[in-house]
Amino acid sequence: MASSAPFQFAGDSDSDEDNFNPAPADLSDDENNATTKRAAVMTDRRESNPAVDNDIIDEEEDEERPSKSASKPTPDDEEEDENGDEEAEDGEDGKNGDDEEDEEEEDEEEEEDDEDEDVHRHRRKRRKDHRAAFFDIEAEVEDEDEAEDEEKEGEEIEDFIDNAHPDDIAESGRLDDDRRHRELDRRRELEASMDAEKQAEILRARYGKRAPARGYGEMAVVPKRLLLPSVDDPGIWAVRCKEGKERDVVFSIMRRIEERAGSKDEVPITAAFERGGPNSVMKGYIYVEARRQNDIMIALDGVLDVYPRTKMILVELKDMPDLLRVTKTPNLEPGAWVRLKKPAKHAGDLAQVLDVTENGLEARVRFIPRLDYGVRDEMAAAAGKRKRPGMPGPRPPQRLFSEVEARKRNPRQLQGNPQTNTWTYAGDDFENGFQVKDIKIQQLDVKNVNPTLEEVTKFASGSEDGTENLDLKALAASLKDGSTNVTYVPGDVIEVYQGEQRGVVGKAVNVQGDIVTLRVTEGELAGQTIEVPNKGLRKRFKAGDHVKVIGGSRFRDEVGMVVKIVDDRITLLTDQTNTEITVFSKDLREASDIGGQGSLGQYSLLDLVQLDPTTVGCIVKVDRESMVVLDQNGDTRQVMPSQIANKLPKRKLAVAADRNGSEIRLDDVVREYGGQQRQGKIIHIHRSFIFLHSHATTENAGVYVTRAGNVTTIAAKGGRSTNPNAGPDLSTMNPALKRNPAANSNGMQPPKTFGRDRALGQTISVRKGGYKGLMGIVKDTTDTHARVELHGKNKIVTVPKADLIFKDKVSGKTIDIYSRSGRGGFGAPGGGGYGDRNGSRTPMAGNGGERTPAWGAPKSVARTPAWGRGETSGSRTPAWGDGSRTVNPYDGSRTAYGDGNRTAYGGATSYAGGSRTPAWSSSAKTPAHDGFGHGSKTPAYGAGSSGSSNDPWGSKTPAYGASAPTPGASGPSDSWGYTPGPGPSGGGSSSSHHPYDAPTPGGAGFGAPTPGALNAPTPGGAYSAPTPAALSAPTPGAWQGGWGSAADSAPTPAAVGAPTPGASGIGGGIGGGGGGGGASGYYGAPTPAAYGGVPETPAAGGEMRNADDD
Amino acid sequence: MFFLHNLERRVTLHPSYFGRNMHELVTTKLVKDVEGTCAGDYYIIAIMDTFDLSEGRILPGSGLAEFTVGYRAVVWRPFKGEVIDAIVNTVNPHGFFAQAGPLSLFVSSHLMPDEIRYDASATPAQFTNDADIVIEHGTHVRVKIIGLRTEVGEMWAIGSINGDFLGCLQP
Repeated sequence: MASSAPFQFAGDSDSDEDNFNPAPADLSDDENNATTKRAAVMTDRRESNPAVDNDIIDEEEDEERPSKSASKPTPDDEEEDENGDEEAEDGEDGKNGDDEEDEEEEDEEEEEDDEDEDVHRHRRKRRKDHRAAFFDIEAEVEDEDEAEDEEKEGEEIEDFIDNAHPDDIAESGRLDDDRRHRELDRRRELEASMDAEKQAEILRARYGKRAPARGYGEMAVVPKRLLLPSVDDPGIWAVRCKEGKERDVVFSIMRRIEERAGSKDEVPITAAFERGGPNSVMKGYIYVEARRQNDIMIALDGVLDVYPRTKMILVELKDMPDLLRVTKTPNLEPGAWVRLKKPAKHAGDLAQVLDVTENGLEARVRFIPRLDYGVRDEMAAAAGKRKRPGMPGPRPPQRLFSEVEARKRNPRQLQGNPQTNTWTYAGDDFENGFQVKDIKIQQLDVKNVNPTLEEVTKFASGSEDGTENLDLKALAASLKDGSTNVTYVPGDVIEVYQGEQRGVVGKAVNVQGDIVTLRVTEGELAGQTIEVPNKGLRKRFKAGDHVKVIGGSRFRDEVGMVVKIVDDRITLLTDQTNTEITVFSKDLREASDIGGQGSLGQYSLLDLVQLDPTTVGCIVKVDRESMVVLDQNGDTRQVMPSQIANKLPKRKLAVAADRNGSEIRLDDVVREYGGQQRQGKIIHIHRSFIFLHSHATTENAGVYVTRAGNVTTIAAKGGRSTNPNAGPDLSTMNPALKRNPAANSNGMQPPKTFGRDRALGQTISVRKGGYKGLMGIVKDTTDTHARVELHGKNKIVTVPKADLIFKDKVSGKTIDIYSRSGRGGFGAPGGGGYGDRNGSRTPMAGNGGERTPAWGAPKSVARTPAWGRGETSGSRTPAWGDGSRTVNPYDGSRTAYGDGNRTAYGGATSYAGGSRTPAWSSSAKTPAHDGFGHGSKTPAYGAGSSGSSNDPWGSKTPAYGASAPTPGASGPSDSWGYTPGPGPSGGGSSSSHHPYDAPTPGGAGFGAPTPGALNAPTPGGAYSAPTPAALSAPTPGAWQGGWGSAADSAPTPAAVGAPTPGASGIGGGIGGGGGGGGASGYYGAPTPAAYGGVPETPAAGGEMRNADDD
Repeated sequence: MFFLHNLERRVTLHPSYFGRNMHELVTTKLVKDVEGTCAGDYYIIAIMDTFDLSEGRILPGSGLAEFTVGYRAVVWRPFKGEVIDAIVNTVNPHGFFAQAGPLSLFVSSHLMPDEIRYDASATPAQFTNDADIVIEHGTHVRVKIIGLRTEVGEMWAIGSINGDFLGCLQP
């Protein structure tokens, strides 16, 4: 304070008065008080204060501080001071200005002291007593002296003219003169530097504000600068004390002060405080403020736990303010998490506060003990080493206290109550497995504890039955420090909900400290920019906003869309899980469109992770520190990243088979078979388990698990038909291939045979395998295998059907039972008779028949040559023509249906348009259609079933044969087999007759069967006549053309005319067949005949047949 | 809302398709690739026509030809505030999911009129006001979009039936 004196000497009465109130630096008083040699100064002082009157100011002062006037032993001082001030005011004598100021201040301080407690005054007195051992009266006067001393001090220090100690100076009489001179000089200086008005202004500026605060003591605003300690103030010493006892010591000092207050030996210090505390660097010290070090010795003499005799540290002036800086001490509450610092063994361990002692110095905490139950001691003992207390070596791991263990190792040290599960072991208390201990708060880390979920989990797992009943989410929430303040970021839409501007909505444009600058967007103020304190603000969202949770909510990092707003509570629907959560708007931020939590470390939502060697799971929810995993058994569990063995990379190539045996891959859409029939997209395939994801449910993020065998494919990804890795699917786009779409399809499967397996009872020989060459009789069959009773061994063996060669029972020739039976199961039944014929022929037919499918399979390329190829070709080849034809209706049928298929394809796929179509339609129309669909089969069947139907077939076959016959056609046949579609289409569309048709012919030929098929049905009608007519007539264009062309191209173009008729004839024939169908005999006749004829010259055969038919 | 939108896209063609009708193929492929997809914040419903088919450029390395095709497409872009009709997919206690063409949307129970409540006991579960309004699987509803979220290849909306003329469409 004294330092500010120079400006005050000219102060007016106001300043005086003002000065009383704020009493800034108490401490200077004490020093003054404490100083000796006051008496001498006193006189000076008196001289320097000529006017010793009581004036109004005094009265005022008295009024203001009655206690002071009452208790203060030296009212004169003040009066004098004030007078002095007045003088200064008047300009009569300004020399005292400084002094007065100082004095005033001192006085004020004194006053305060007085007011506060008399102790100080007594103390001062006592000190004086100490020094001078004078009586009271003199002491009263001393204050003046003090004041003067101060004055001098102030002067000296401020002016830096004379640094001699005031005590020294005070003694000399000349001091007075010096001082006066100096003051005069100074005053002149000042006056020179500024005129009175300015000074007044300054003073007013400085003190004017203080007037209203009068009476409130220190509450008035005083520039901090003025409050800083100066050298005049008492020093502060740091005194060692016992660590942790700081507060106790201070308390005992306080008690002592109280005890001794007013007594002779008052405690001669002005203050004592401590800066202990758990994290303070100043712990282990108390700080005592006193004039002299010796005072401290006196004051602290005999106080426990403090060691004034050790070296005291004088706190430097500049450090003093820091000593008093207020730091907020964290408040420990039961349940809080802390870390241990002290028991070295547990350093860094997490502990939970159970209780805090009243004085706030200790806390009862529980933590997980690190016990080895004496194992290490034993080991040490065994090794003959003394155990060192310094905790060398590894510390035991954290484990809950085990009574059993303790009892086993060290039963003597164990006592406790099993009921409450509280034990005392080796001096430590354990409750429910946790160690419980009172620990000084200093030895706890209360800040930045950051317990991890793992640690906390351990605490929870020990509860009661030991089962883990911890709601990790709740815990995670409790772990968060709720200290996050609302932070606004420019761009936030903010609503003012408190204060004058309530209701204003705007967008933050700037945030500085607590002040948010808003650009108002709505209402009357729209467009204006206002500043508001962030206290009454909240963020504003609209329904539908996409927001992210930030801040302290346990839903932190969730992203979602706002669906509901009530006050500042906002409900949002999370993106990840489609669940609704409610949070405070302050915890929200507008979110970018994408985002959201979806990953925790390396694990992210929907990842497949390995939980243990036998368990995998799919992450269905990710929290901040844990995640929820749906394991392969359909159970969800909450796990922490540490519990996950590893993450299984997505195997893009993983393949499984669904219920129907179809291959399923990732991203296929499948539906559960049975059960809930849930449908979903495959996100993981793990062994036989598949994890599906569906948007239809929100449970488990829409993920569920099932077995691969329990789903059926709804849609394979991208309509997969080929291996997706084989590069682009050329077949779909390549126009060349597109021409013949049928070429890509697998063709229709050969008709299934129904009824009794024809193989049953057949004599066979085994073609392959261990039983190769052995003969036997088929006793039983499945789709693929036959059980064969061997002739040679009395044994029934199972042999793949494919490995069987069927033999005629009688002749031992190889036969094709299927082909024969195809024709007419009858054929077969017809058995014997036909046998031969068939027999001979059959084989080929057989092949053909068997082949048919292959045949049907448009991979015709194969066909032509293939025909050439053993199997089919054999049959196909002209010779074959016969064979096949001969072969039977079956062939026919087969063909037919092969055709059918093919045709179907052709028809359907490629050429709706062609002339074909009509043909088709006709065919379709015709009952044949059925036959068609089922193809030849039906007819064949029909044939099979009823001898009569055979005929048509027979007839047809021939017809077929007719086309087939054209050996030349074989060439074409390729093409046709190959591109039946085109053939027909071509033919149909425009040029059925044209050479182009050449292939067509084949097609035609092919068609032939179809017609046959057609016919068959048609003929089914008894009218051979009408049918043909119908045929030729309706289908005419198509058919005839087709036929014609076929015929044409095939055997003899010239024959064209003929073919047509032929065709018609055929039709007729067919019709006839149909008609004749009634009579199996007929059939039998023609066919064979046809066959007979056919073999060599199919054409002829055809003709013949026709003839026959006709 | 539907728009006619001019767009551009690069189409690559496998060498095996090179030939006379390449442009046709390009168009075909474009249609195949683009129609029915979600392009950010709108759906491409149909391609009207293509124009400005650039010359093909062989991509080094792969041999594919790249064409830049300008095309005009009908696109549908849902807007906040737009009212659309949808068919209810799923009903759960929090609200219901509905499908408006390719767009799936959710109507929270908060965004329904107060009198409409979830009735879990009905089969299938439904939202009803115990009178004429029944919202269950398959119900046609008229919904106002209040929020939109776009993701790659997907859009997602939140709707409200809280308003005049919104809600259940009487058959």
